[in-house]
Amino acid sequence: MKRSSVLTEKNRIKWATFFTILILLPVGLSVAGFALSRGQAAEVFLEAPDPRWESCYRDAEYMRFHHMDLLKEIRDEVVRYGIKGGITLAGCGDCHTNRDQFCDRCHEAASVRLDCFGCHYYPERALDRELLRVGMIVQATQDGR
Amino acid sequence: MLAGASGALSLPVLTSCTAETASADSVLTGKRWGMVIDLTRCREGCTACMDACRQENNVAFHGDARWDVHWIRRASLKPKDEDSGLSEKSVLLMCNHCDNPPCAQVCPVQATYKREDGIVVVDHHRCIGCRYCMIACPYNARFFNFKENEDWPNQDYPKRSHGVVEACNFCAHLLDQGLRPACVEACQNAGAGALVFGDLNDRTSEVSQLVAGGFVKRIREDWGTKPKVYYIGL
Repeated sequence: MKRSSVLTEKNRIKWATFFTILILLPVGLSVAGFALSRGQAAEVFLEAPDPRWESCYRDAEYMRFHHMDLLKEIRDEVVRYGIKGGITLAGCGDCHTNRDQFCDRCHEAASVRLDCFGCHYYPERALDRELLRVGMIVQATQDGR
Repeated sequence: MLAGASGALSLPVLTSCTAETASADSVLTGKRWGMVIDLTRCREGCTACMDACRQENNVAFHGDARWDVHWIRRASLKPKDEDSGLSEKSVLLMCNHCDNPPCAQVCPVQATYKREDGIVVVDHHRCIGCRYCMIACPYNARFFNFKENEDWPNQDYPKRSHGVVEACNFCAHLLDQGLRPACVEACQNAGAGALVFGDLNDRTSEVSQLVAGGFVKRIREDWGTKPKVYYIGL
């Protein structure tokens, strides 16, 4: 008897309003967040390369979206066909000296695990060094896994 | 330095390992690396070649026989029959770089392959760690990386990640620079000179002369693997 009396006309409007707000709240928050963040200047995401070097192997736009294709192409040339003397990972490190800022920051943001540094040397991650210093990890690993 | 991929293609290419298939002529004129191990000169207890190899190629040593990786190692061969009159022998074992490599035949992803200059190499990017090659290799020359190698003595050369198989590659990266393998260099520096390395196709080279001398043996030639590592005093 009591249960049927819960959804009176007045209660129904109250509940409908409550659920509408509940559903629209996350949408509203994200829209608000987006609107607020639009005004701010974009954060510098990658470190500025060494100014001694004027250009990369390719233009920045290509490198940003296709560096993995380029690296795989070079890898096959070097490993399978013995064509050496071109692009090397160590050569990347000549300009982009900070792996934390250059590789890992983007890859962590995009949640793409890169598998290069388990075998190839690239300057140690500053994060690993710090964790090693404070004793949170026992031995710094190069691949950051 | 800043040459692109197209620039890399135009750079001097080693004739020994180009993509094009070897014609009958280039088989004779191209390089075919081989090694002669003179066991009569090899000193008992000397580890110069093994240490140099570990230093140069970042070969993992964990101190546990289950996980240790060896590109060149010393084994003691005991005669099966004690009355045979044969004595125990200390032999250096390594990848024999077979002309007919069983490891390359069984590799399901063609990660192991024979270069044009005859060196059997592993492409660690392709290796899936199935260990078929370890089963196929009759010389037990291949080792699996059960653990991540934490030591990195030579940072110019990559180490191997956990989960791939590796074996001696005659220090291919040094050969490409015109240098000799690290073990050969170390053996010379140690004054033993037991390891001789060179081009088997070049008749004037030291290895060719030693091989032509007829005092060399290969391990289990009856298997038909045609190794390019020859032994004197085996």
